[in-house]
Amino acid sequence: MRILIHDLSPQEFTALGLTVDSDTTVISDNGTIKNCIGCFGCWIKTPGMCVIKDDYRNMGQLLSKCDELIIISSCLYGSYSPFVRNVLDRSISFLLPYFMHKNGETHHKNRYNNHFTLSVHFYGNDITEAERETAKELVAANSINFHCHENRVYFYHNLQSVKEELH
Amino acid sequence: MKIAIIDGSPKSKDSASSFFIKKLEPMISSENEISHYNISKKPLVSEQYQELCRMDALIFAFPLYIDAIPSHLFRMLATLEEYIKKECQKTIYVYAIINNGFYEGKQNHIAIKILQNWCMRTGLQFGQAIGQGAGEMMHFVEKVPLGHGPLKNLGENLNHLADTINSHNTGATIVFSPNFPRFAWKFNAVHFFWNQSAKKNGLRKKDILRRL
Repeated sequence: MRILIHDLSPQEFTALGLTVDSDTTVISDNGTIKNCIGCFGCWIKTPGMCVIKDDYRNMGQLLSKCDELIIISSCLYGSYSPFVRNVLDRSISFLLPYFMHKNGETHHKNRYNNHFTLSVHFYGNDITEAERETAKELVAANSINFHCHENRVYFYHNLQSVKEELH
Repeated sequence: MKIAIIDGSPKSKDSASSFFIKKLEPMISSENEISHYNISKKPLVSEQYQELCRMDALIFAFPLYIDAIPSHLFRMLATLEEYIKKECQKTIYVYAIINNGFYEGKQNHIAIKILQNWCMRTGLQFGQAIGQGAGEMMHFVEKVPLGHGPLKNLGENLNHLADTINSHNTGATIVFSPNFPRFAWKFNAVHFFWNQSAKKNGLRKKDILRRL
C-alpha cells in the first residue's frame, strides 16, 4: 500500500491529475486534524492508536501496511508545512516507546516489521539554500526514526513542476 | 527590555518546557519586563501576536517532535511571521530552549536550524538556542539543585543562555545531554516511566507491544 500525505487544497490536488488507485491512501487536510497533546496515550493507554478521536488517529496502523510514504508539502523554513507536521506528530503510534541505538543515537523501536520508502516532494518558489539543506537533514532524520529503508527528497519551484515529475 | 516567554509544549501542565522556563526565569535580570504566553490549549489571538511584535526578545521553550518543531507551535510561528512583517518596527532577538525525549541533546540540531531559517524569513535576529536531551527525565530530578548532579550541564548552559539574553546578544548553539549515564537513563525510562505509566492504565508489557 502507498500513503500520500499532502497539504494541497482539493482544487490544487485535482489539478495535479494524479492517478490514485485503490492501493493508495490519501491523507489530506479536511480541517479537522487536532494537535498531538504529548500525552503518550498511543503508547501507554491505547497502544498503537492515538487517543484523540479524529480522522487521523490511525496513522500508526496505516504506516504498518505502507510500502511507500509519499509526502507533497510546501517547504516552510526547511520543514514540512504545519499540516504535514501535524500528521507526522500524530504518527508515533507506529513506534514503540522502547529504545534502540543507531549510529550512536537513541531512537524508538519499531512496533511493526515494516520498512517503507519515504519520498518527499517539497515545493516553494523561493526555498533558500539553507532551507533546502535543513529539509534534507529533516527527511533523513525522519527516515531513521520511522525505520525507513530509503528516503528521497525532491524540490520544485511550483506545483506544475511537481505535476510534471510525478506523471 | 520587554521579553516574551512562549511555552511551546502541547502539554497544559507538568511539561519539561515549563520546567526549563522555571529554571531560566530567575536568571533573567529583574530590570526586564517579562510576559508569558502558552499555546497548549488554544492559539494566540490577534492582540497577543501584536504584543509579540513589540517585544525586544522572544524566548521559546518547546519539545522536539519528530526531529522538528511541534505542529501547533509551528503554525504559530508561521502566523507570527505575517504579523511581524506587517507590524514590527524593530529587531527582535530570538532565543530557545529545546528538549528531546531521547538521551542525546544533539538530536535537537535540526529544530534549531528550522528556527534559524524562520528568523531569516521573518527578519528577526537569532540569538541563541540550547538543546537538552532526556527531557522527560527532568520531572524525576526537579528537586536536584540546578548545576549539580544530573543538572550540572543544564545549570551551566542555562547560565550561558541567560547571560546572552541579559546582554541582548547572540551566542553559539549548545546541545547537551544530562550528567547521567545513558544506560541508567534508558533503564529508568523503560521500567519507571513507560512500564509504570502503562501499568497505571491496567496494561502490561505485552499490551504495550501490541500490533493492530
